[in-house]
Amino acid sequence: MTTATRDIILPAEWRDFWALTKPRVMSLVVFTALCGLLAAPGSIHPVIGFTAILCLAVGAGACGALNQYFEADTDAKMARTSGRPLPAGRMDRESALHFGIGLAAFSVGIMGVAVNWLAAGLLAFSILFYAIVYTIWLKPNTPQNIVIGGAAGAFPPVIGWAAVTGDVTLLPVILFAIIFLWTPPHFWALALFMKTDYGAAGIPMMPNVKGQKSTRNQIFGYTFPMAATAVLPFVLGQTSWLFGAASVLLNIVFIALAYRVWRNDTTDAMAMNPEKQLFAFSILYLFLLFAIFAFDRMLIL
Amino acid sequence: MTPIDRPPYSVEETTIIRKRQAARARVMGFALVGLCVLFFLITIVKVGGAN
Repeated sequence: MTTATRDIILPAEWRDFWALTKPRVMSLVVFTALCGLLAAPGSIHPVIGFTAILCLAVGAGACGALNQYFEADTDAKMARTSGRPLPAGRMDRESALHFGIGLAAFSVGIMGVAVNWLAAGLLAFSILFYAIVYTIWLKPNTPQNIVIGGAAGAFPPVIGWAAVTGDVTLLPVILFAIIFLWTPPHFWALALFMKTDYGAAGIPMMPNVKGQKSTRNQIFGYTFPMAATAVLPFVLGQTSWLFGAASVLLNIVFIALAYRVWRNDTTDAMAMNPEKQLFAFSILYLFLLFAIFAFDRMLIL
Repeated sequence: MTPIDRPPYSVEETTIIRKRQAARARVMGFALVGLCVLFFLITIVKVGGAN
């Protein structure tokens, strides 16, 4: 429900509920979860596999809705987020809260009953971690928000794996670590050229708190453990040379772009082409790395 | 806001409300049909697996 021009309450459109789920974030969650599911040893019935991915997508939607419920006031202060349903006044907060809780309960319940309770437990933990630990506690209080909070985004491939095998071994933990270590350079590159936006909203992102130089140092610093972790599946003999070669190539490009960010010293967002290129490439990097990993594992299994 | 203390809606507003309610009902309908099919298939798979 939302207030129109003269205090008339109108029902929110279904598109606004859809927007609450952050469909673009959801698509990345679905993709990484699918890669975890395809890479896992063993087999899963296509209907149960589909159900697992659906539950993950709905769980990600719940995270998006709860995040927007808690951050409605902050979102209103940023140009990038001010058009969302809550800050734009197209929906009331209670509807977003009920929608988020409903999606979370549905996704965890169906995952547990139809797939297995380990996957359901991990899904429940990741939703609570994102909605409460990251959104309420970390994000407004510490510049390490996206470092620790990155764990929430790293769970989907582990859950996809657990949906098939019913357990969590070293390989899904490595997938978790790749996304966990990828998150800081990815988000801090964005935070560098969106510094003003985050600053206006009072969110303590690394560039606002520690400065741009320190952020660039940390971006470059994080790429090395990330790259080392990304080649681990090959080093441990869990993939063929195909993934090994692709991983090395993608990491070289990532490190080269991060090096350009490290060397850049401009404070003008318009001149931050290295940061924008790193941000754009980081999305492609994760997509290709996981796609090739899943393909490679399907070939050797 | 309860139906009793709602302000009177104009014809245009009533049209918008009905249109949105119909669209939401359609989406909910599709979702429920999809869930029925999904639950049916899950049941078949689970029962088949148990046998």
